[in-house]
Amino acid sequence: MTFDLHQMLASKRAFRHALAARDIVEKLTMLDELRARALTLRAAREAAHDSSVLREEPAPYGVSAKSNPS
Amino acid sequence: MNIAQVITTINQTQADGVIERYAIGGAVGATFHLEPVSTLDVDIFVTFRHEPGSLLVSPQPIFDYLAARGCKMEGEYVMIAGWPVQFLPPTGPLVEEALADAITVPVGETPARVFTAEHLAGIALQVGRAKDKARLLQFIESGVLDADRFQAIIVRHHLVEAWQRFTRQFLTDTP
Repeated sequence: MTFDLHQMLASKRAFRHALAARDIVEKLTMLDELRARALTLRAAREAAHDSSVLREEPAPYGVSAKSNPS
Repeated sequence: MNIAQVITTINQTQADGVIERYAIGGAVGATFHLEPVSTLDVDIFVTFRHEPGSLLVSPQPIFDYLAARGCKMEGEYVMIAGWPVQFLPPTGPLVEEALADAITVPVGETPARVFTAEHLAGIALQVGRAKDKARLLQFIESGVLDADRFQAIIVRHHLVEAWQRFTRQFLTDTP
């Protein structure tokens, strides 16, 4: 583990190169998995926005206490 | 969900004469040259067969063929092996050239026709949305582009100005 930005970027680049160099069958399988994950996340997000769920509203932004007596 | 199965189905569609030739583009095409690029759909560029007696080209024979094999239509997509697949005609000379020059890459035992890295990069430059620019950067950083071939594409398809703008924006310290 390092906090050296240059080393982190180099490490990321090396990881991307290693991924790119993998066999295409393996990479396409990753695409299958990435899509499955994206669909799961999307479904979870939509469920979270279900209107039947009671949710606390955030305070209105940029409105002063004077103009918002409630 | 199996993208390899999508490729097998497209090959069969071609073998049965429904499409003349095809090539995979978009994020899936880019994945053949780069690290996996997450996407929700598959872009297949095709030359449609002319229907006898008609000057218009139509994707309908593809839809009919695939529907007869149990694939469902969802909007402009055909669902194949769990993936939404979009069949796209060449939208201009660059994509026409990309389709003609596509390479064949074996996916296990199955051959897949894919746009070259240089054509994918050229198309990304031409389309120019944020995600296309990000993809073009990926191509450049990965070092997979043949510089001479890419430059020839840029010149041939009048993209020199777009390229200069892109380099000013992303590849130099002083925009």
